[in-house]
Amino acid sequence: MSEPLHYVIIGTGAAGTEAALHLRQRDADCRITMVTAGRLLFIRRYELPKVFDGVEDWRELLVYPPEFYDEHGITVRRNSWVTNVDPERRVLGMRHKEEVSYDRLLVASGGGGYIPAGLSEYRHLLQRFATFGDAIRMRQSLPEGGRVIMLGADMTGLDLARKLTAAGFRLTVVATEQLFWPHEVSPRKRTRFVKALVAMGIEVIQGRAVAGIEATNSGGPARRVVMDKGDLRGDVVIPFFGLMPTLDFMVGAGVDIERGLLVNPQLATTDKNIWAAGDVCQIWSPEENHYRFYYGWKNVKMMGRIAALNMTGDNEAVDTVKEEDLFINANGEIDSPFWEYD
Amino acid sequence: MSRKRKPVTDIQIAICGSAGDGTIAAGDILKRAMARAGYKVIAFDLYPAEIRGFGKCIARTRITANQVYSMKQKSDVLISLDDSHAIPHVDEVCDYGAIIYEDNPMSKVEEGGHISGHAAPAHIPYGIPFREMSERATGSARSRNMVAVGYIAGLYGMPQKIFHEIVTAKFKGKAAVVTTGNIAAFDAGYEAGAATIRLDFGVLESRSRRRGKADLVMMNGNAATVRGCLDAGIETFFGYPITPATSIMEILAAEMPKTGGRLVQTEDEISAVAAAIGAGYTGARSATATSGPGLALMTEMLGLGTIAEVPSVIFVSQRGGPSTGMPTKTEQSDLNLAVFGVAGDGQRIVLAPTNVEGCYKCAGKAFEMAEQYQTPVIVLLDLYLSNRYEAVAFPEKNPFVRKCSKGVSRRGTGSPYSRYAITDDWVSPRAVPGTEGCQHAITGLEHDVFGRPNDQAHVHEMMSRKRHEKLEAAINHPDITISKRFGDRGKVDVGLLGWGSTFGEILEAMFVAQKEGIKCAAMKVVMLSPFPKPAVVPYLDDCAEVLVPELNYEGQFADLVTSATGRPVNRLNRVPGTPMRVDEILAEIRRLADGAKQMAAE
Repeated sequence: MSEPLHYVIIGTGAAGTEAALHLRQRDADCRITMVTAGRLLFIRRYELPKVFDGVEDWRELLVYPPEFYDEHGITVRRNSWVTNVDPERRVLGMRHKEEVSYDRLLVASGGGGYIPAGLSEYRHLLQRFATFGDAIRMRQSLPEGGRVIMLGADMTGLDLARKLTAAGFRLTVVATEQLFWPHEVSPRKRTRFVKALVAMGIEVIQGRAVAGIEATNSGGPARRVVMDKGDLRGDVVIPFFGLMPTLDFMVGAGVDIERGLLVNPQLATTDKNIWAAGDVCQIWSPEENHYRFYYGWKNVKMMGRIAALNMTGDNEAVDTVKEEDLFINANGEIDSPFWEYD
Repeated sequence: MSRKRKPVTDIQIAICGSAGDGTIAAGDILKRAMARAGYKVIAFDLYPAEIRGFGKCIARTRITANQVYSMKQKSDVLISLDDSHAIPHVDEVCDYGAIIYEDNPMSKVEEGGHISGHAAPAHIPYGIPFREMSERATGSARSRNMVAVGYIAGLYGMPQKIFHEIVTAKFKGKAAVVTTGNIAAFDAGYEAGAATIRLDFGVLESRSRRRGKADLVMMNGNAATVRGCLDAGIETFFGYPITPATSIMEILAAEMPKTGGRLVQTEDEISAVAAAIGAGYTGARSATATSGPGLALMTEMLGLGTIAEVPSVIFVSQRGGPSTGMPTKTEQSDLNLAVFGVAGDGQRIVLAPTNVEGCYKCAGKAFEMAEQYQTPVIVLLDLYLSNRYEAVAFPEKNPFVRKCSKGVSRRGTGSPYSRYAITDDWVSPRAVPGTEGCQHAITGLEHDVFGRPNDQAHVHEMMSRKRHEKLEAAINHPDITISKRFGDRGKVDVGLLGWGSTFGEILEAMFVAQKEGIKCAAMKVVMLSPFPKPAVVPYLDDCAEVLVPELNYEGQFADLVTSATGRPVNRLNRVPGTPMRVDEILAEIRRLADGAKQMAAE
C-alpha cells in the first residue's frame, strides 16, 4: 500500500483553507499541512475593526473553530516561517531550521501591505492592520475620538476608514494613486467618489506628497506626517497602498515569478508539484495575453477550490470574477463588491 | 440579563526541558515570585533519575487567587526548553492555552522534531529566540531559562521587581555577575513578553502583595518535614541518601548544627535506623529518612525498636516500586510495608500527611508520639508530597511538646526497676541509660517486665498485648488531625476516602461533583496505624457508596479499610508514576452516584 500523499499549503487564508477543505473531500487519506506565520487560525480580517466596538475575544472572528481542523485532519503550523522551497527534494526550509517535506505544494501566502520605497524607512512608525494583534495595538494607541491618518487608502483601507469613522474616530486620508485600489477609477468618477468619502465624514487630502513621518512626544498626537506643504498630526499613521505578494521564500525555487507567482489558468506553476492560489499569483489570461492578478474574496476562494481540484488530478481553469465597479449606494456612501464578504 | 462572571486567577504553567537546562530552577523562581506577590501557589517538579544531560524535567506551577488542593490536569502554558521532551506534553495544554518555545534553535531540527508542528489548532504558539536573547543579554546561551521566565512574566504582566528580588536571593553567595546576568536575561525576556499581544486565555489578575498577616512560606513537603523536626527539637539524625527522601537529610545537615544537633550519614539504611534507635534509647529525639527500598532494609531493626519500646521517627518518601523501581516517579505503594512490614506482631504508628502543612505537623507530632508511646513512628510521604511546593503559613508559636516521655519517679534502692512494667495505659515509665537506680536490660528477645529474656507463653501474651494496647491512645493524640471529613454532611451518595498526597485530587474532584449536584463527601485518614475506626466507621455508615482512590496497583489502603472495618469499598487504583487524575476520580464519582440513585429508586 502506498503512503498517503502529503499536501502542504503555505497560507491559511481564504484560498488556502478552501483548498484544504476540497483536498480533504477529494482524498480522505492524504496528509494536509497548512503553514502560516500568524499565530491565529483563519480569521475574518474584515471584521478586525470590531475591536473598536470592544471585541476582545478573537475567537469571535474565527472563520472555522479549531475543531474544524481536527475533524478534517488538517495540521496547521502557525507562527512558522518558510524561508525557502527546494522543488528537487520537495522540501520547505523553515526559519526554525526544520525541513518539511511535501508531495504537492500550494502557495497561497497572500499579500502583505505594500509600502512605497520612499516610506519604507518609516516602517516602524506606521501602524499595521493585518492581524488581531495589530488591531489591538491600534486600539491601544488611539485615544477616544483620536485621529487616524491613512496613507494611500486602497479599498481595504477604506473599509476600515468607514468603520473607524462610525466608531467616532477622526479620519484623514492622504490620497495617492492607490486610492480605491484595486478598482481602476477614471478622474471624473474619482472626484465624485472623493466627495462621497467627505460626506461620510472622512477628510481627504489630495495632490500632496508625504515627505516623512516623525514620532512626537510633546503630549499631543504621537505622529507627525511631514508633507510637501504643511504637516499633519495624528495618533496613528496607517498605510494602505494595496497588496504586495508574499513570496520571498519562493525566490530561488526555480519557478517563474514576476510580481507574483506566474501560473497557468489551471493555477499550476512551472514546477509540476507546485500550484498557487489567491493574491500571490498572477494568472495567465489568454484573452488579455498577459498575466494578471485577480482580487477579492470570491476570486480567492474560487482559486483555492480550483487548485485543490487540479492538485488531485483535474484540469480545470479558473473562472475569475473581474472587479466590479465602485459605486455610490442609496445612502450616498461609497460602496464596492470588493466588500461583499462571505 | 445575565451578568458575565469575572474569571478568577487560576493558571498553571509547565516548564519542560532536559536535565541541565535550568528547568527546575526556572520553575523555582516563578513559584517563589508568585507566592511573594500574594498568590496561592502549588508546584510540583518531575525530574529524571540521572543528574545531568539525559532525562526530562518538568516544573509545574499552579497560581491561583483562592486555595486549591491539587495540580490541574491540563496546564494553561507550556514552555519548552527542549522540544524532544516537551512534544509528548503538548496535549496536556488546555484549549486556547499557550505553547512557548525556542524559535531559532542552534542546529538543524529533524522533520517533526519542532514543537510548532505539534501544537493543536486550539493552542496559541509563541516562538521566541531564547538562545539569541540570552546571548545578547549575557554573552552566553546558558540563561535562556531566565529569558523564558522573563517572557512569561512580561506576557502576563507579573511584577518584575519581585522577580528581581527572588533572582537576587537565589544567587546570593555567588559572584555578582551571576545575579546581574540572570536579571539581564530575565529583563530581556520580560521586555519581549510585555511587547507581545497575548492571545491565550490564561487568567492572572494583578494582585497587591500581602501585608499584615504572617507571611506565607513557599516550601515543599520535605522542607516542611525538616521544619517540623527542628521545631520538635530533633537532636540526632542518621541517614543514607535515597530519592526522594534525600533532601530531608540535606536540609537537616545545614540546619541541625545551628541548634547543637548531630547528623551522621551512615554506610547504609540498616546502620541509619540502628543508630536512630540507639540514639532514641539514650533519650535523644532521633530520626532517619528513606524511601521504600530503604524501609525494606530497615524492617528488622524496626522490629527491635518495637519490642524494645524505643522511640524513633522514620520518614519514608514513597516512589514507584518494587525494588529500585521508578526512583523519580510518585506512588503510594509502601503502605503495606509501613503498616505491616515487620517480623512478628509488630504494630507501630504510621502517619501519612496529605499536604505540605501536614508534613510539618506530622513530623513534629511523630516525635511526640514516638516518645509518649515508646515506639517507632513512621511518617509516610511520597514523591509528589516531598517535592510539591505550597505556600504555607506556619504557626507563630511552636506547637510541639518537647518532653513527653513517661518518666520514672525517684527511686530508692532495693526494688529493681521494671522497664516494661504493666500500667493502666500500657505505657511503662521509661528511664534512659545512666539514670540512677534504673539499670535494666534491653533485648530483641521477648522479655519480662525487667527486660530479661523470657519466652513463657503468659509473658509473650502479656507483652504482645501491652505493645498493641498502648498504641490505641494514639488515635486521640492531642492537636493533630488523625482524620477529617469534608463536603456534604449527613448521608451522601458517594463518600471518598483517601490518604497521603492523593487527597488533594480527591478534594478537587469532590468540589466538582458537588457543583454537579452530587451529594458527596470526602474523608482523609492521616493515621494509618493504629487505624482510627471510631471516626471512619460512622463516615462509612453515611455513604451509599465509598470510593478509595490511591496510587498503587493493589489497593493497599482499600484493603486496610476493609480489614479494619469489615466494609467493602470501591477502588480506584492507578500507577502512572504521576499524581492521580482528578477527571478519573470524578468519572468514578459520577458512575457511583448514578448507581446509588438507581439503587435508591428501586
